[in-house]
Amino acid sequence: MTITTDLNTQLSKSNSRPQNSRSKKLSAALLLGGAGLAALGLSRRGWQRISLAAAGAYLGYEGINQTRAFSGTARVSYTIGREPEEVYRFIRDSANWPKFSAALKMDPQRNSFILTLGRPFGMKIHSHAEVTDEQEGKFIAWSSLPGVLEHRGVVHFFPAPGGRGTEVSVALEYKIPGRMFSKSLALVRGKDPEQSVRETLRVLKQIMECGEHPTVTGQPSGKRGFKGAALRVMYREPQPEPPSAPGEAQLAGD
Amino acid sequence: MKALCWQGKNKLSVESVDDPKILSSGDAILKITRTAICGSDLHLYDGYIPTMEPGDILGHEFMGEVVETGPKVENLKVGDRVVVPFTISCGHCFFCKTQQWSLCDNSNPNAWMAEKLYGFSGSGLFGYSHMLGGYAGGQAQYVRVPFADVGPLKVPQDLNDEQVLFLSDIFPTGYMAAENCDIKIGDVVAVWGCGPVGQFAIRSAFMLGAEKVIAIDRVHERLSMARQAKADIINYAEVDDVVEELKWMTGGRGPDACIDAVGMEAHANTLPGWYDKTKQSLRVAFDRPTVLRQAIQACRKGGTVSIPGVYGGFLDKIPFGAGFAKALTFKMGQTHVHKYLRPLLERIQNGEIDPAFVITHRLPLEEAPNAYQFFRDKQQECIKVVLDPWAQAA
Ligand SMILES: NC(=O)c1ccc[n+]([C@@H]2O[C@H](COP(=O)([O-])OP(=O)(O)OC[C@H]3O[C@@H](n4cnc5c(N)ncnc54)[C@H](O)[C@@H]3O)[C@@H](O)[C@H]2O)c1
Ligand SMILES: [Zn+2]
Ligand SMILES: [Zn+2]
Repeated sequence: MTITTDLNTQLSKSNSRPQNSRSKKLSAALLLGGAGLAALGLSRRGWQRISLAAAGAYLGYEGINQTRAFSGTARVSYTIGREPEEVYRFIRDSANWPKFSAALKMDPQRNSFILTLGRPFGMKIHSHAEVTDEQEGKFIAWSSLPGVLEHRGVVHFFPAPGGRGTEVSVALEYKIPGRMFSKSLALVRGKDPEQSVRETLRVLKQIMECGEHPTVTGQPSGKRGFKGAALRVMYREPQPEPPSAPGEAQLAGD
Repeated sequence: MKALCWQGKNKLSVESVDDPKILSSGDAILKITRTAICGSDLHLYDGYIPTMEPGDILGHEFMGEVVETGPKVENLKVGDRVVVPFTISCGHCFFCKTQQWSLCDNSNPNAWMAEKLYGFSGSGLFGYSHMLGGYAGGQAQYVRVPFADVGPLKVPQDLNDEQVLFLSDIFPTGYMAAENCDIKIGDVVAVWGCGPVGQFAIRSAFMLGAEKVIAIDRVHERLSMARQAKADIINYAEVDDVVEELKWMTGGRGPDACIDAVGMEAHANTLPGWYDKTKQSLRVAFDRPTVLRQAIQACRKGGTVSIPGVYGGFLDKIPFGAGFAKALTFKMGQTHVHKYLRPLLERIQNGEIDPAFVITHRLPLEEAPNAYQFFRDKQQECIKVVLDPWAQAA
């Protein structure tokens, strides 16, 4: 697999997704379980109906998804109301990274950066990567260095029509170990690669356009109870709510 | 502090919760002096808006006094008396800059949820589900207001709370509904729903030059409040067919513009109405679009259907063919409240309107659970409830 800095050829590349019999069995089990939960949900009343049905639909969706191995491509495009040069410079300066991503760090030893993916149960995958090509204000391409996690991609900065700033387009390919379960759990926790990229770009946009990142972490609430706590997990909201210092940008990810 | 919390469908409680804190540099904390219950809150009460969590603090129509500001806030200082738009807007994105404030790109921390349902996310809202931000609302003693330099409007001292409170939502909402009708001198405007939003839509339509406004509801006190504004009225429970009645009242043309100020919980005693109700209670549909169907059917050729009433999902049996055949214009959406704050404050100052006319009940916060019930069920001649979070319950 080679990656070029040409977005279009990259994205049109067919995406092979090998299957194996184990993943097919799991997939069938998830689909059945999903249908069961959905049926149970529809037989209940009130919130149980909705959440069971939703959980069922989710498992069913996962079941369909499990027939794919956990490698793939992601592409996300976001318009940020700043000039391409500004966005490029902001991203290129690693001092800005903590403002929009908790996953990116500069490696002080080597001329590379570290991408850290959170995994369920506290495990983390670190991956070293380096910039392979770039043109000021136009694009940055990167690739992972040998390791468990493989990824490479390119960020383009296109001027948006009508003076609306910059279309920041990220296209990447990845291969993540752990396969099925890491994916379903990662998805529950909102760590699906495409969604992670989207959330990171969203925070980048918020920081660049209004200098702060909106948050509801740390606000008061009434009694959540078991149901409320369960819903917070489903809605990927922090649980329990940690205090956060005023004036600080929230980090992307959680 | 005390706050009204959602605990499930038809289950509200006033609870003791932590006071809000500054969480972001652009925040302010308000001590709330008055807060109101909105028809939109009834959709939460009835369990029709997804992504609510037990414990959520409700309320999006409120005003109060600034008691604390974040380090980046420049336009407000402690002691300022402000009314706050229910839509939360960053003030910097494309949508805020083009006056489409309720479509703000940057104010919803849970945008991904709305994106799953609608493809895109609008602005965050106070006290209105996690999909729309999960922000704690203002039916409470204090509230945190994000982007405090952008939303809150300072209120002149000579106006009392009740005169300006509804700038937070229902006055701008009724006004935008009328403005969306592109009213020309001599126009006839029909307004479905004589709740608070409908009342402001009726008055705004007259302000913008409508010659005749026809108000439709079945609740007597609401119809008579509409009549006080010089609207003609239709009690839909007493006529065979609202669409025919409107044709009859408009020389066979149909109204030039139709405003649906009812939304997803319209009543109907007809067969299609029961069909909608059954689907909604099975949660296969969020909406009962009876009124929208009538509005499309009734509107004159080339007219406008303006929809301030809230809809949430996929609407069934909408006569889109009629809309096409008559070349109708559709306008809708959450109100761009920020855009209307100053112009409407001016109208209040000029004495063109005193929004307090709509208030029928003034109660302490403790009474809120009860008030939701009688407001929804149209009992006690209730049209609009204003709560004082600091008053002691009797
Ligand atoms: N777009 C916005 O930003 C915005 C803001 C505020 C409120 N709203 C929405 O506006 C709508 C009205 O709000 P409200 O506070 O006036 O609520 P409300 O519940 O007090 O009023 C609704 C009125 O509609 C009447 N009605 C019901 N079925 C009808 C029918 N078939 N024909 C005619 N009238 C009928 C009811 O009798 C009631 O008087 C709600 O859907 C609310 O969510 C939207
Ligand atoms: Zn409202
Ligand atoms: Zn904005």
